[in-house]
Amino acid sequence: MTREEKIEDAALRDLLVGARASMRQGQSTEAMHGLVEGLYRLLELKPELATEQLEPRPGWKMPFLSRWPQYGANWKKGSLDAGQPEIEFVRDRFALSEAITCYEFLLDTAINRGA
Amino acid sequence: MKFGLFYELQLPKPAGEEQWGPDDEKRIYHDMLDQVELADSLGFDYVFEVEHHFLEEYSHSSAPEMVMAALSQRTKNIRLGHGIVLTPPGYNHPARVAERISALDILSGGRVEFGSGESASEMELGGFGVERGLKKAMWEECTREVANMMVQTPYQGFQGEFFDMPPRNVIPKPLQDPHPPLWVAASRRETTMLAARFGMGSLGFGFETPDELAERTNEYYRIVREECFPIGHAINPGLAVLTTFMMGNTDAEALERSANGPAFFSHSLGYYYNPASGGKHQPGEKNIYDDFLAQNERDNTMSARTGFIAEDEIRKGEPKDEVQRALYRAARSGTAVGTVERVRETLKTYEDNHLDVMIFVAQCGDRQHDHIMESIELFGREVLPEFKERHESDHVKWREEQLAGIDFPVNSSI
Repeated sequence: MTREEKIEDAALRDLLVGARASMRQGQSTEAMHGLVEGLYRLLELKPELATEQLEPRPGWKMPFLSRWPQYGANWKKGSLDAGQPEIEFVRDRFALSEAITCYEFLLDTAINRGA
Repeated sequence: MKFGLFYELQLPKPAGEEQWGPDDEKRIYHDMLDQVELADSLGFDYVFEVEHHFLEEYSHSSAPEMVMAALSQRTKNIRLGHGIVLTPPGYNHPARVAERISALDILSGGRVEFGSGESASEMELGGFGVERGLKKAMWEECTREVANMMVQTPYQGFQGEFFDMPPRNVIPKPLQDPHPPLWVAASRRETTMLAARFGMGSLGFGFETPDELAERTNEYYRIVREECFPIGHAINPGLAVLTTFMMGNTDAEALERSANGPAFFSHSLGYYYNPASGGKHQPGEKNIYDDFLAQNERDNTMSARTGFIAEDEIRKGEPKDEVQRALYRAARSGTAVGTVERVRETLKTYEDNHLDVMIFVAQCGDRQHDHIMESIELFGREVLPEFKERHESDHVKWREEQLAGIDFPVNSSI
């Protein structure tokens, strides 16, 4: 059983499956675009993530979504602090390792949040 | 489960002093050689040494290939691990990495473990002009090409996004066929799974618990079996995790000897990797150890360091962020701190969850060389033999089951 099968939402699951298929074909840039779509879908399903804060140390807070690996599909400046997360692409090409890392983050988050 | 030692070559400045003593760096380098030589004689399996630059007090290990070369001549069996080499080309040209790894493999009789990574501290990235947002892509491109250079005769050349090179025969070639086992530094779960997809060993710097390890091991080996597309020419399936290490004849003695080593390890790591502090570091001036002592005084964290606090009590205060959690655990978890009985019992829980390699952080903070030597001796004589025996009788079989049906060539020392 793949971990994607633990995701209930069919649209999000399909986006993750599609991204994994792209990665296997070496199409990491396509995979990254699919993952960003998946990230938006997760935010539709779990809107509370947009404002969720981590407290790594007492008195120091950071948006949970800042953990999304920023390799060029980055949060638009100020969008996390405003609670309205928006991704902007600042690169045209992505490496396989970058797509894999974002895929694992999205998959873990989706499963942990019961999406 | 196999065992190794891990070295950052930490050197806190003396309290209240602006600089180290004239022989301090010489002392920790030579202490390390003595410690690893002893570990080798007792049957430890690995030593892993970092590559870091400009991280004063936290790590004075900027030329691990030199230390490894020295160790290759003073040891007989212990595997010599780069934990890790920084492979973005701003740090090291890929051909130079391939040449050094291969030369060390020859000098050591085929004992090299090739770990790679990218680092995340502003001191290093800024010092070498490595762009933070591109470092992972650089790591991937260059690590793949280093593996190609060690295998291809001649290397066919490369035109990539981050470096170009015409065809050349990159020599010497390593003794190990096709190249030494590949590892990647993994401080987050995502990178452990990346390691699985690339067929690399995961050098886990997250201070994972046995429970977390069980889930992680299952998923790691599933990916290796089902979804692996290797970055190199042979895969190295394996999970290694770090933990703090200090032994004594009583728990109280071990705790006292452990001193504030783990807490300083965590403090100085957090200092450099937090952009708010590490990015503003004043080279050559700051005394981080003074800051650490002052913070301890304020927070009374010394009393919470590496104590024999129940694991569930430790967990209650853990940060949710994975990296911060690793720092928290590094300072407090006492996995391999204590008597023979305590250490044996705790390590057994990792063995039960099929951990491949446990790597001990012995040298850290202001711990004493003679205490580290005694700990290595005690562990090597009283604990290691039974784990070695079970590794051969049980774990090797378990790994064969995990890797059954895999078509890729495997080069692993586990």
